[in-house]
Amino acid sequence: MVSEKLTLKNAQGFHMRPAGVFAGEMGKFTSDVKIKFNGNEINGKSLMNIIAACIKCGSEIEVICDGADEQAALDKAVELINGGMGE
Amino acid sequence: MRIVDLLKPSSIKLGVSPATKQEAIDILVDLHDKAGNLADKAKYKEGILKREEGSSTAVGMNIAIPHAKSEAVKTPGLTAITVPNGVDYQSPEGDLSKLLFMIAAPNDGDVHLEVLSRLMTMLMDTEFSSQLMNAKSAEEFLSIIDKKETEKYPEEASKPVEPQKEGFRVLAVTACPTGIAHTYMAAEALEKAGKEMGYALKAETNGSGGAKNILTTEEIANCDGIIIAADKTVEMSRFDGKPVLSVPVADGIHKPQELINKIKNGEVPVYHHTGAKTAAATGEKESFGRQIYKHLMNGVSHMLPFVVAGGILIALAFLIDTAMGVNAQQAGGDFGTVTPIANWFKTIGGYAFNFMIPILAGFIAMSIADRPGLLVGFVGGYMATLGSTFASPAGDIPSGFLGALFAGFVGGYLTLGLEKLCDKLPNALEGIKPVLIYPLIGLALIAVIMCAVNPIMGMINTALNTGLIWLYENELIVVLGCVLGGMMAIDMGGPFNKAAYVFGTGMLTSASTMSNPDVAYAIMAAVMIGGMVPPIAIALSTTFFKNRWSSEERKNGIVNYIMGLSFITEGAIPYAASYPLKVIPSCLVGSAVAGGLSMFFNCTLMAPHGGVFVFAVVGNWPMYLLSLAIGSVIGMLMLAILKKPIKENEKSVDIKETA
Repeated sequence: MVSEKLTLKNAQGFHMRPAGVFAGEMGKFTSDVKIKFNGNEINGKSLMNIIAACIKCGSEIEVICDGADEQAALDKAVELINGGMGE
Repeated sequence: MRIVDLLKPSSIKLGVSPATKQEAIDILVDLHDKAGNLADKAKYKEGILKREEGSSTAVGMNIAIPHAKSEAVKTPGLTAITVPNGVDYQSPEGDLSKLLFMIAAPNDGDVHLEVLSRLMTMLMDTEFSSQLMNAKSAEEFLSIIDKKETEKYPEEASKPVEPQKEGFRVLAVTACPTGIAHTYMAAEALEKAGKEMGYALKAETNGSGGAKNILTTEEIANCDGIIIAADKTVEMSRFDGKPVLSVPVADGIHKPQELINKIKNGEVPVYHHTGAKTAAATGEKESFGRQIYKHLMNGVSHMLPFVVAGGILIALAFLIDTAMGVNAQQAGGDFGTVTPIANWFKTIGGYAFNFMIPILAGFIAMSIADRPGLLVGFVGGYMATLGSTFASPAGDIPSGFLGALFAGFVGGYLTLGLEKLCDKLPNALEGIKPVLIYPLIGLALIAVIMCAVNPIMGMINTALNTGLIWLYENELIVVLGCVLGGMMAIDMGGPFNKAAYVFGTGMLTSASTMSNPDVAYAIMAAVMIGGMVPPIAIALSTTFFKNRWSSEERKNGIVNYIMGLSFITEGAIPYAASYPLKVIPSCLVGSAVAGGLSMFFNCTLMAPHGGVFVFAVVGNWPMYLLSLAIGSVIGMLMLAILKKPIKENEKSVDIKETA
């Protein structure tokens, strides 16, 4: 299991478009992807779960990947979040 | 923000059967419009469609949630439809959408994300969503949501007692019309009373020296309520959804305890902002580059109407003179003012143009230093248009819009520095700071600086003139054409432009005494074409490279065709001022190519201005037109290379479609 703490940079928070991008990219990995936010663990592969968490700009989140390709999944997740998911 | 507060029974339509996604959107937008949530229906729909362009808002499980965050939204709201047979909403999962919610969110605040999140949280329960799809009436639909919401968020149904919060519990804004005494007295009284009552209170003063101690969005979000002690309007949209107590400024001074108690006891109604005006969140740290851009755009956006209206009137004047059969060659510099009616149009248009540059500088400075900056920037900008120096305050060589940019930024930061410096002065002087100290010292300083800078423009001008004459005497005619064309585009009214234009018109007046007057006429032709290229290149770019520009910039692009064809280079200034490093080099190259080609083809011109309206006196005009087209297209292409497509969420100034 690998994990990394990050800060969300998208001005509008984790809204539908970035959540869609993130869940879509994470779906390509076999590892489990979880986002830890406000004490809750959220399924990082589910668009609806991410949006339901209401993660606003500047929030600190932890991405946790567990499985065969966990490092690759985490690297991608870090790249996406730090890159503002293309925004 | 509860879902049931946003969704009215009349905004729900059950059992509809739209054939397409488009029809479904129309139904939902109509419901918003009927509910009175929208200030501008078409604009809002545009935002919805733009969002759908990116990717569908269908989220699977037969649900779609189209949404737009837009200035066109008057009050935040929701609409809903159920489609028993489903509609193809281009869901990535391939399912048909049967339950659709549409969110309308105003530009400011987090309403958007909160509503989206809450809807999602509830809709993940498939039993809940299928109950909604099977609801028989709007009332039933709402009561299902209400029940679920109360269950999920019980704390809202029964308001919790005073949650302990950090930071300021009560915020205040104080302001009075003159903004020199009562504003500060009220702030002090409130802060003192807050301290005595053990209630942390922060007061923002909207005095005439600009807002001080500004409330941040975070503080607003976390406070219990806001006291507005003001006798003039203050920026209110930021307080949407918070308890707000509005009282005269005198109450802030005389009964601060009473006001704080009202907030404390929850006797104050929650404020709902109506109207589309939104203000950027204050108090947040923005990157320096972003700040510079914001100041610049404040100047450009205020200048733009002057450019557009003035430019069109001047173009009309040329058109009228042409229609009246005025001979452009005979009229010379008077073209556009020969017939009285044309003269009227050209003069009025010119008045608008006179304000253009000072407005640019003034509003840049105002954006930086608030109200005290306006005077400093305005006069500094005016001095840039005159080219004032110590020896000749009435003006010499204008430094044009580049000088005005300088005046705006220097003036703004100067005033800001002055304000900081004056913070050290005793409070007793607070009153005379904005009415005497800032204006007087600011004006004197900017005048000295501009007079010191402007002579440099004079020197540049002289040097350029010498260079041009050298090129002319050495018969490097095509090079001369390139240089003249480029100079017209480089500063659009500053020393370069001025040197080239004066050189051209000088040639024109002395042509009759020259052995080969055609060279003089060719020089004038190269000068005019150089001034026509920039607006046309920009107009072409807004037409063919739409993704480089915001919607406002694209709309104004059309006017630039008219201005370019009329040889009104000023049309390019708003664009050049906004993105100088991208627009100026592009225009420069385009104009230089056009000027060179015009010379090469031996095109001549016997009138000092008028654009297409004087093409009757252009020699070899088909080639002239060709040179203009080639130069403009090159300018456009270069602009496309230099200026990258803007990001999706910046493309439109007014409709920020998100999520």
